[in-house]
Amino acid sequence: MLNIKNLNLKINDKTLFEKLNLDINAGEIHVLMGKNGVGKSSIAKAIIGDTNYKVEGNITFNDEDITNLNIYERSKRGIYLLNQSPIQVEGVTNAEMLRVALSEKTGKGINIFEFNKELESICKKLELDKSFIHREINVGASGGERKKVELMHMWMLKPSLIILDEIDSGLDVDANKLVANSIKEYFDEYKPAIIIITHSSALINTFDDFYVHLLDDKKLVKSGNKELAKDILNKGFREISDTFVISEN
Amino acid sequence: MNKLLVSDIIDLNNGNYKLACQSTKLIIRINGEVNIYFNNEVLEYLDIYLNDNSILNIYKFNNKKENNLIINIYQNNNSKLNYNEAFINERNNKLIINNHINGNDNESLINIRNISDKNNSEIIINVEVAKNTINNIALEDLKGINNGGFIHIEPNIVCLSNDVSANHLTTIGSVDNASIDYLMSKGISLENAKKILLKGFIYSNMDEYVKKNFGGEDNV
Repeated sequence: MLNIKNLNLKINDKTLFEKLNLDINAGEIHVLMGKNGVGKSSIAKAIIGDTNYKVEGNITFNDEDITNLNIYERSKRGIYLLNQSPIQVEGVTNAEMLRVALSEKTGKGINIFEFNKELESICKKLELDKSFIHREINVGASGGERKKVELMHMWMLKPSLIILDEIDSGLDVDANKLVANSIKEYFDEYKPAIIIITHSSALINTFDDFYVHLLDDKKLVKSGNKELAKDILNKGFREISDTFVISEN
Repeated sequence: MNKLLVSDIIDLNNGNYKLACQSTKLIIRINGEVNIYFNNEVLEYLDIYLNDNSILNIYKFNNKKENNLIINIYQNNNSKLNYNEAFINERNNKLIINNHINGNDNESLINIRNISDKNNSEIIINVEVAKNTINNIALEDLKGINNGGFIHIEPNIVCLSNDVSANHLTTIGSVDNASIDYLMSKGISLENAKKILLKGFIYSNMDEYVKKNFGGEDNV
């Protein structure tokens, strides 16, 4: 599915990452953890093709080199980012955006009846008022509503690689549970690859099994499974990173 | 909706009117609560008189047609004006609105949206609140997107009385890059992303009737 080889990542000539290697298969969950500012979100943006980042190395997706493809081409191939603070887009409704996106994806017109029916059912599942379907994207929406709107887009567009960038931040307990359950349901139904960037256990504990990668000092310093996540959440980043550096020497 | 073929002078009473203009000069007198719709009408001079206690909502939509127009709007007492115009220009266009508020307790909101595809677009909005008047509100919300053309906007509000609430918001820019990136990240091409953003912008001050009847996928 996604293979990142020797990725060097820069922004404005500042190096954010060096020699990052990561292989992610369909049906796998990979959690990126690390201190604030370590560059986790930058990796997410590099994967979706944000042109603000200069990338050296290779990113392949389903055996196709996508390193030089733009954000649209990557999205069309099924790469989707749900980020912690989605922007608002004035004048464009969720329905209109999704109609255009689905038309481009399928290359044909949309059956409006089926489209509305599916959207209404998704809204119900997400406990999102169905008026959001015809509301401008994220305009006047709270932080929690915005995340639900992004999940609504995800369910409609059905991506095969999902990057969740701190989607669990700023949510109350109930909203967090609902978001986590919705992602788990999507995972069980479509078996996508998922990259989770998080500082908490709420979302990752929804899943039975996952890989964990600890990032520090412009590098991936340690990989493991859910036990590593527990360790990090119990002891903190510094202790785990220091342990690794000492053992490496 | 009343569809009227109009020329010279017309009195409009309570109701919704779509006006088709037979001449380039028109005088309208408003009584009661009136909604007026113009779609691609070529006018040069438009005078509007709001009688006391009347409410006027105007929705004027102009897509790539000639739009060199001077509008004079007169308000006396306890009237409410909600003027909305959206236009896309490919030629040199000039829109001048002179809003005279001569009495008390009036509201004036002037909303303009312009996309300049080619050539120059000039928008001059003058609102004048007369001396010795009280409790008037004057607001201007004027926005333009340079999409290959050039836009000049002058928002003028002259208050000759101390008892006025007045404000103006004027922005001229281009299509927002963050919004384009966002839409592209959902699988929408650059061309379609720009198209739906421009469409959203140009209809942002129009009501549902305009969106359904003056719009359509190919209109913008």
